[in-house]
Amino acid sequence: MAEETSPKEISPKETSPKVTDSKTINPQEIVDFLKPRVGARFKTWLDICAHCALCADTCHFYNTSGKDPNMIPARKVRFLKEILKKKGKVDKAYLEKVYHTVYHECNMCRRCTLYCPFGIDIALMISLLRATLTSQGMIPEGLRKAIENYKATGNQMAVTKEEWVETIQWCEEEASAELVGLKIPIDKKGAKIMYTVNAREPKFYPQDIMEVAKIFYVAGEDWTLPSESGWDDTNLAMFVGDVKTAKMIVENTFKRADELEVKQVAITE
Amino acid sequence: MSFYNFVAGPLLWLSFAVFIIGLLVRIVTFVKVSREKDKIIYQHFNWRYVFLTFARWLMPINPTVAKTPAYFLLVYVFHFCLLVVPVFLQGHIILWEESRFGFSWPALPHLLADLMTLVVITIAALFLLRRILSRDLRLLSDFSDYALLVIAGLPFLTGYWVTHGTLDAILSSYSMQIIHTLSGELMLVMIPLSKLSHFVLFFFSRGASAVEFGRRGYSM
Repeated sequence: MAEETSPKEISPKETSPKVTDSKTINPQEIVDFLKPRVGARFKTWLDICAHCALCADTCHFYNTSGKDPNMIPARKVRFLKEILKKKGKVDKAYLEKVYHTVYHECNMCRRCTLYCPFGIDIALMISLLRATLTSQGMIPEGLRKAIENYKATGNQMAVTKEEWVETIQWCEEEASAELVGLKIPIDKKGAKIMYTVNAREPKFYPQDIMEVAKIFYVAGEDWTLPSESGWDDTNLAMFVGDVKTAKMIVENTFKRADELEVKQVAITE
Repeated sequence: MSFYNFVAGPLLWLSFAVFIIGLLVRIVTFVKVSREKDKIIYQHFNWRYVFLTFARWLMPINPTVAKTPAYFLLVYVFHFCLLVVPVFLQGHIILWEESRFGFSWPALPHLLADLMTLVVITIAALFLLRRILSRDLRLLSDFSDYALLVIAGLPFLTGYWVTHGTLDAILSSYSMQIIHTLSGELMLVMIPLSKLSHFVLFFFSRGASAVEFGRRGYSM
């Protein structure tokens, strides 16, 4: 298990991230950010939404807030329409309102899309709004740190390769005391399954890795863990609409799977 | 040229031009912009998902119908009558026959056409009432949402008045003809210029989302 605590460590108790607001709002930047991203689908959706409110009671935020009309999915995306209309000329207070809605009133589950007669993808628009806020430095602190960690180390907890491999070896030692002969194969080429974990496991919950190792051992599965980045299957970049980093994270996993010539990739519970 | 001849002549041509060219522009824009910015549609395009989603939503075989059956029954009946009446109305077909095109096709029986017209007017009124009375809909609606319901209902209301001479005591049938034609033209023009563009964009929006959900293994 990792001995040292990295300066970028995220406390597991951090439940309500605060907004980073070191930056001033730059309308031109907002426009430049949105321009290549607002495609034909977004424009169509904003144009044809019939405001029929059929999406209202498909939303758990609407249903659990005493049917607060501001929780209607179609209502929540008004911000995108307004920002486009105002050509990015919005102030901090406005963006804080957007922030509250897109982070605290929608978790992008896409249920509303399944009930919308036009199949309007609200979640995709919320994601774009989150990404727009990120471009203006408005991002939950925990996610900001995690994304820095992904970029630097390939995992959200900034676990180094040495720490990761040591943790696995330690897990193997501990678990094999209980189940004699248990191994945790690292970088085993041609294994059937490549297993991936949540980076919190090596950092805070190594017992989870041991338990999985026991299951694999008892089931007689041919499995392995990769030593290089790609082993963290969480993708927190997706939550701020950071598509580039999100892609990098997934690509790492695929790269490892290709290198190790595995048939399947399994992800942690 | 009399005012009626102007309304039923050049203005009608203009309305049809805006309607057809406007919708073509909508379609071409969608295809052009999406090729550049929504590549995902083309990377994962699959007719199976697209066709299935059209079928489920053009017919009442979808989760929303099950959730709100009464409202959706009205929606389907409204759209059906709205599309069928103007095209298959005897009075309109005669105009096509007399025009330079000389087109002709079977017409709806008068009684049925009357009934369907009244259905459109009634449902449009109900939708308007619902929009005014519901707190949720009031919040979502802007001016155009109310206006477009009126614009969609007006050609049917004035059409009914024209055929039945309801308002003969107040307006000459000549004026009524003009009002009816103008209201129809207004609606034609508004289709490509407003949310009524779902007339064609419905297919693009649903199709795109069906591809997006289909590639994840869910046929919507």
